[in-house]
Amino acid sequence: MPIEIQLPRLGWSMEEGKFLAWLKNDGDFIKEGEPLFTLESDKAAQEVESIDSGILSIPATGPKSGDVIKVGHVLGYLLHDGESAPFSNQPAPKTKEPIEAQQPGKKSIHSSAPILLPEKRRTETPASPRARRAAKEHHIDLSELTPSGKGGRIRECDVIAAASAVASTGFKKIPLTSSRRTIAARLMHSRQTTVPVTITGRCDATQLVELRKQLKADGESSANTIVPTINDILVKLTGAALRQHPLLTGVWAEEHILVPDAIHIGIAVDADDTLLVPVIRNADTSTLTQIAAQSQRLIAAARTGKLAAEDMQGACFTLSNLGTLGVEAFTPVINPPESAILGIGAIVREAVPLDDGRFTARDRLTLSLTFDHRVIDGAPAARFLQTLRQLIEQPVLGLV
Amino acid sequence: MIPTDKTSPLSLYRTMLVIRMVEERLAKSHQRGLIHGACHTYVGEEAIATAVCAHLHEADAVFSTHRGHGHALAKGMEPRQLIAELYGRETGCSRGRGGSMHLFAPEIGMMGTSGIVGPCILQATGAGYSSLIMKTGNVGVAFFGDGAANNGAFHEGLNMASIWKLPVLFVCENNQFATEVPFSSVAGNPNVAARGAAYGITSIEVDGNDVLAVEAVAREAVKRARNGEGPTLIECKTYRTRAHAEGMGDFTYRTREDVEQWKTRCPIARLKKHLLNQKLATDAELSAIEGEVAALTEDAHEFAEKSAYPTAESATTHVYSAPRSGPPRDVPASNANTRELTFMKATLEALTEEMARNPKIFVMGEGIGVRGGNFATTSGLFAIHGPERLRDTPICERGFVGLAGGAAMTGTRPVVDFMFADFVLDSVGEIINQIAKMQYMSSGRLKMPVLMRGCIGIGHNAATHHSGSYYSMYAHFPGLRVVVPSSPRDAKGLLKTALTCDNPVLFLEHRELMTVKGPVPEEEYFIDFGTAAIVREGSDITVVALALMVHKTLAACETLAKEGINVELIDPRTVAPLDVDTIIQSVAKTGRLLIVDEDFAHCGISAEIAAQLADRGFDELDAPIRRLNGKPSPTPYSPTLEAAVVPDAAAIADAIRNLCAE
Repeated sequence: MPIEIQLPRLGWSMEEGKFLAWLKNDGDFIKEGEPLFTLESDKAAQEVESIDSGILSIPATGPKSGDVIKVGHVLGYLLHDGESAPFSNQPAPKTKEPIEAQQPGKKSIHSSAPILLPEKRRTETPASPRARRAAKEHHIDLSELTPSGKGGRIRECDVIAAASAVASTGFKKIPLTSSRRTIAARLMHSRQTTVPVTITGRCDATQLVELRKQLKADGESSANTIVPTINDILVKLTGAALRQHPLLTGVWAEEHILVPDAIHIGIAVDADDTLLVPVIRNADTSTLTQIAAQSQRLIAAARTGKLAAEDMQGACFTLSNLGTLGVEAFTPVINPPESAILGIGAIVREAVPLDDGRFTARDRLTLSLTFDHRVIDGAPAARFLQTLRQLIEQPVLGLV
Repeated sequence: MIPTDKTSPLSLYRTMLVIRMVEERLAKSHQRGLIHGACHTYVGEEAIATAVCAHLHEADAVFSTHRGHGHALAKGMEPRQLIAELYGRETGCSRGRGGSMHLFAPEIGMMGTSGIVGPCILQATGAGYSSLIMKTGNVGVAFFGDGAANNGAFHEGLNMASIWKLPVLFVCENNQFATEVPFSSVAGNPNVAARGAAYGITSIEVDGNDVLAVEAVAREAVKRARNGEGPTLIECKTYRTRAHAEGMGDFTYRTREDVEQWKTRCPIARLKKHLLNQKLATDAELSAIEGEVAALTEDAHEFAEKSAYPTAESATTHVYSAPRSGPPRDVPASNANTRELTFMKATLEALTEEMARNPKIFVMGEGIGVRGGNFATTSGLFAIHGPERLRDTPICERGFVGLAGGAAMTGTRPVVDFMFADFVLDSVGEIINQIAKMQYMSSGRLKMPVLMRGCIGIGHNAATHHSGSYYSMYAHFPGLRVVVPSSPRDAKGLLKTALTCDNPVLFLEHRELMTVKGPVPEEEYFIDFGTAAIVREGSDITVVALALMVHKTLAACETLAKEGINVELIDPRTVAPLDVDTIIQSVAKTGRLLIVDEDFAHCGISAEIAAQLADRGFDELDAPIRRLNGKPSPTPYSPTLEAAVVPDAAAIADAIRNLCAE
């Protein structure tokens, strides 16, 4: 039997995906585990591996790059040697099949197999290549334009006219990408289903900065090691603090609160006009080097659109760092079903008074913790923050 | 020891042995699959190449056939270079570009074997012409078979060599079969030497298997050539004792008995017998030579087999000669002092300047001598440079183009003036198979500065044999430059470049532009090939046009400007190389492209421009690419019919309006 290749569900909320490209050619022999095609889900593009082996057979009506396709839809088939594809609109793959099919008395498999009807393509108004390019630049929806070219073709001048008409209203339209829609939906869901409270606290980060300097110096002398960033150290210390205050990782489940066994921490990454939250696994038990290696891979994948769905799943707590952009304190929004999120502010060098009235320069860091008051009260939240502050002030304690 | 004199009997013996042993080695290698293509051996005919080349200097030029291994070896090619070439190796004489039928070693005057029968006769005549122009005393030698004696090149080449008393040897190796067709069955007069009288050429028939007899005849012929007494036709009766080509059957068209009988007349055995009988050499001496040649052959085989194949990356190098170094040459149009000249005067000025500067330039054509050219292309030059450099030719386009190719190969710079480009078609084999491919086949060691000019274009009721445009056809072939100017200024600058570049150039001048006037800079200037001109700047649509169509489009532009359509007009000026970048840049501005071309649409330059734009400028296009071409028919005579097959200003304006509405 031909094996169907279906559009897979890559994440819990995924209903459809944008097919990008086959990574193999029709007629290629595919081994189980080989990358087969690329697919863009809500947040990222990823390579989908074949779960079976066989000869790839792509129907002429198969997916084209950019097609948005429902989960479960059949994209193509994997055939065994000698087997023919269950569609008749293109020659069979390179097998012995055509010879066998010609043998008298042998019934063709074609006649009994289901025939896949091509999915109707959306009928679009024709537009010149130049008009398409201009539409992209000016964020104009071609389907809303009245064509002025012969035979109803949209020309560049139609796009420019529309763009300047939009401009005269004082606004220009930026079409929503699917990731922007997802972000909006999730944040609205968060606001509507949690009771967020934000508390802030300052801590002395002098030793944290020293530690980072030390790690950097060590890394440079040994060349190939990954040097953990401040953020990596904070993930590690947060993991340790969460282990002492597990309620902060709890999930409101109407009848009870679920506290996960493992502490996986999401880190918010600003990537190419979108916000992605890849997840660092076992932040409390991983070594700092392991965390640094995980975060380096995940951030690189996020920036190149290659995060897999599972890279963004399973966190119980999130870190969001706006400190590098100079923000000192803010009110981060909880990422459901998590119950808390920690905002990291800028590290600022400040004059701190000593007991004798003199001043000394110290590195200071503000932490902003937003938590769901349904799950966590103010005092336990504050105690978590206090633990974390102590760990940041003496980071070596949290790293052992 | 073998005497250094190549004409001594022992030297002749050794050279024949080298040819024989190398050929026998190649026959074995062919069976073993070491030779990738055809291999025609010279076994049985060794005496001819050996005896003739014994009288040649390195600078004398030999032009050979498909059966040319013997000529190459006798002219001095090392067996290593020859065998390596047949094995397809980098160390081969043509660097793996040629194989058996394209053996080149111009450094030693081996100007190539050839897969085409006939051209070597014309090229050797051209080498004779170079000798005349440069006064070198060098001789051109054509080796060819009986088959070539029935080819037009034989008639045209011998006639030209005769009328200009060129230092050329025409050596016909009559082995009695043109490939596998008996010569006697395809020759009304199978005596080749007898044909020489028709051209007034001294002609001799000789036993081609008697090396001493051929040597004596060649000695006289070379002496006559060097003394300015003109060409000689030598018919050598001989026989090849192996098949036409290795691996082919031999006994469908001749008998075993015939072959065996001819083997008894082996030129090598004959000389050996003579040497021993006359006590000119001892057995031991001859055996020593045989041993030495056998070792030389074996060494060459081993060398070739160990040599590397050329790298795939080098497959397209040497199609053209290396580009001129330095910055682009042109004059700024804005501040140059100019005067009004006609198109004809402008090109004449270019030719006059370059002929004065370069004594190696000569012009050939019908009526270009005293008369000064049908279109005054050489007016006044005969008085300055005389008949050798302004050569009126017989009406034999193939002949004098082939001659020009041989002349370019041997150091001169021929200008072929065809009057009308329609006439060039008679010489297309020489242009495409020889002139265009020569630089590549010789791996860049030969330069081919041949300039071929003639009128193109419709508009003077001359009907179909004086009205064609042929630039698309030539532009299709690698190795050629094709220039189609539209203004006096461009014509002069482009002709100056054509007269100073090392590639063959087709310079095609529109008949209707010959008397058109325009500003031409006073100072010297050149226009590089592959740079388009923006004739008129505009913003709404790009029109690409050549030659007369530039002028017709300009007329249309004036009408359209009043309607608010602002046309940008580009003249590529050279069809090969084609400046696509300038067209893309223009379309990036306008979004629309119309190609107006007098030539036929299908497979023409307009199709090429459209394809390249669709590929490289797709996103720039706001409308389909459109073409307006001449109608696909021979050019008719009657004015009403003629006007109907070529775009005029009104049709161009309509096409522009239509495309702007798309």
